[in-house]
Amino acid sequence: MHGPIGEVIQFIDLNAYTIIFLFLVGFIGGLVSGFIGSGGAFVLTPGMMSLGVPGTVAVASNMCHKFPKALVGAIKRYKYGQVDIKLGLIMGVFAEIGVQAGIMIQKHILDTWGQAGSNLYVSVIFVLVLVTVGSFVMRDAMRMKRSQTETGSGTGLAKRLQQIELWPMIHVKAANLRISLWFLVPVALATGMLAATIAVGGFIGVPGLMYIIGVTSIVASATELVIAFVMGLGGTLIWAYYGMVDIRLVMIILAGSLFGVQLGAIGTTYVKDYMIKYVMAMIMLIVAVSRFLALPKYLNELHLIAVNDAMVGVMTKMSFGIMCLALLIGASIILASLFKARRLEKAAGLV
Amino acid sequence: MPIESAAIRLSQSEPGPNTGTVAPARPNEPSFIMALTRNGHMSEHVMEHAVNLSQRLGYAILAVHVDTLPLFNRGRRSRLFAAAMEESTALLAEMAQYRSVAVEHLGESGKVGDVVGRLCRSKRRIEFIVIDKGIRMEEVARSSPVPVFPVRTARHGLFSKTLSHTQKTQGVFAMSTSSKKRYVRQCVLFGALTSALYATVFAYQDVVMTYFSKGGVYAVLPVITVFAVSYFHGNFTSAFWSALGIEASKKSAARQVAPEQKVTDTAPRPDTRPRLQVNA
Repeated sequence: MHGPIGEVIQFIDLNAYTIIFLFLVGFIGGLVSGFIGSGGAFVLTPGMMSLGVPGTVAVASNMCHKFPKALVGAIKRYKYGQVDIKLGLIMGVFAEIGVQAGIMIQKHILDTWGQAGSNLYVSVIFVLVLVTVGSFVMRDAMRMKRSQTETGSGTGLAKRLQQIELWPMIHVKAANLRISLWFLVPVALATGMLAATIAVGGFIGVPGLMYIIGVTSIVASATELVIAFVMGLGGTLIWAYYGMVDIRLVMIILAGSLFGVQLGAIGTTYVKDYMIKYVMAMIMLIVAVSRFLALPKYLNELHLIAVNDAMVGVMTKMSFGIMCLALLIGASIILASLFKARRLEKAAGLV
Repeated sequence: MPIESAAIRLSQSEPGPNTGTVAPARPNEPSFIMALTRNGHMSEHVMEHAVNLSQRLGYAILAVHVDTLPLFNRGRRSRLFAAAMEESTALLAEMAQYRSVAVEHLGESGKVGDVVGRLCRSKRRIEFIVIDKGIRMEEVARSSPVPVFPVRTARHGLFSKTLSHTQKTQGVFAMSTSSKKRYVRQCVLFGALTSALYATVFAYQDVVMTYFSKGGVYAVLPVITVFAVSYFHGNFTSAFWSALGIEASKKSAARQVAPEQKVTDTAPRPDTRPRLQVNA
């Protein structure tokens, strides 16, 4: 496939607005990723496309910026003892398989129902997964905040699964638990499939690690960075093979996002366990609203409903705006709790 | 290789009547507290701490100065180091004499870990080690068969406190001991390297884009570039926040490490040992 496509793709000219926009979105996305293990990517692809970057180049460049960011974040959080490399690598490999499966499903849907059908499928998955998982995580975070306990509600299932001795057993050092590989694989596959569909596998990966495997949200979000690195590297090699990566865009986004990812990782050492769940759930639910607003456009294109074009235009704009808002709210909660905790520590004479 | 092994025995301390329980088991072999520094001058609070403890426990002090850079600027630096060591030793001797504590002094060179390993396995009976600032806890703890304690003072110098070595707080100790200056230096170095990398790519963006989007084997070009970015820019951003004083929480860094769960106990391995069953 490479060759002819490389010749026809158009790379955009950079101007000050483009550079500042990408740098800022990179920073905020990085901040959120460093904190909850994923996120940010879902704004970057539509963001780049709104600047005139062709869809495939936007997806490829986004993928290419994701893995160095995840690498830097994972190294930083490894220093804090939050990462389980073995767990991350094993899950990363299976997630990569999940990505391939996700792409195949996407292709099948594209062939059967066309572009609008594919978009509709992506949006429906977005809304379904984010509402279900997001509300579960939010309920758990609220409960933990109220009761001030360190363990979430999902640990019951995880504990039962850990009891099952099914070869091969994996020992997760960072969380000090043993679990069968057979329970890791479905979580990893689902993470990969979601990553291939909506570009943010972490929305399944992190809750999966927390509620099915039974690691704390801090270890889960840190280990997700390793999974994202493996998936991102694999994806980037494929996209780069077809010559789709715009290295300039990648480097501008990285310039901002590495600042963010460091700060996000530092933030995790200041907050309580429920805070990560809280920020994650908040972002997931707001993004779900955003994607819900995008649904009428695709339903219209498939002639399933009839909404006038002006209305659709407004809703599409609102959808993108709300998506940016989700990221901004997440980033401000992280920054606020980081600086509040630092103030408290300073007052206590620790910093 | 010992540069100088001048035993300054000031007074032989006898274990006091109240220290019977902690006194060494073999009275002929005095127990030592090793006070370890890699600086010419040992910090005063380390000396004070060592002398206090030795007096209370009836031990002697083994003051060790390790020259970690024996080959660097051999003439001048070594001379200065030796002079500082002499001064420092004299001060410690004075403090110890006042409290009737025996002091032995050693000047060593090489890696701190190697020196500690060698000395702990030598004839002397070393009970524990107190380390001065500038020595990494992990380096000593790795080669030491006895406990290691860093002695640190609060920033204002009013109080001193000892911290015992707790494992699994990776990075926390390293961070608390490192100075802001180091981060500023790193920040400048990696900042310059990052700028150079970015400047190169953007100055030659036409050539870069032609080759980087060729596909095929050229796919490694963007991947290598972003790896370089993550190394240079990653180090730069890390040093940048540290230089600004924004670092990981010192209070909760230990807590963040997975809490001790007894999950492994709840999943017992099946007992497959053969059993004898007797039907009576």
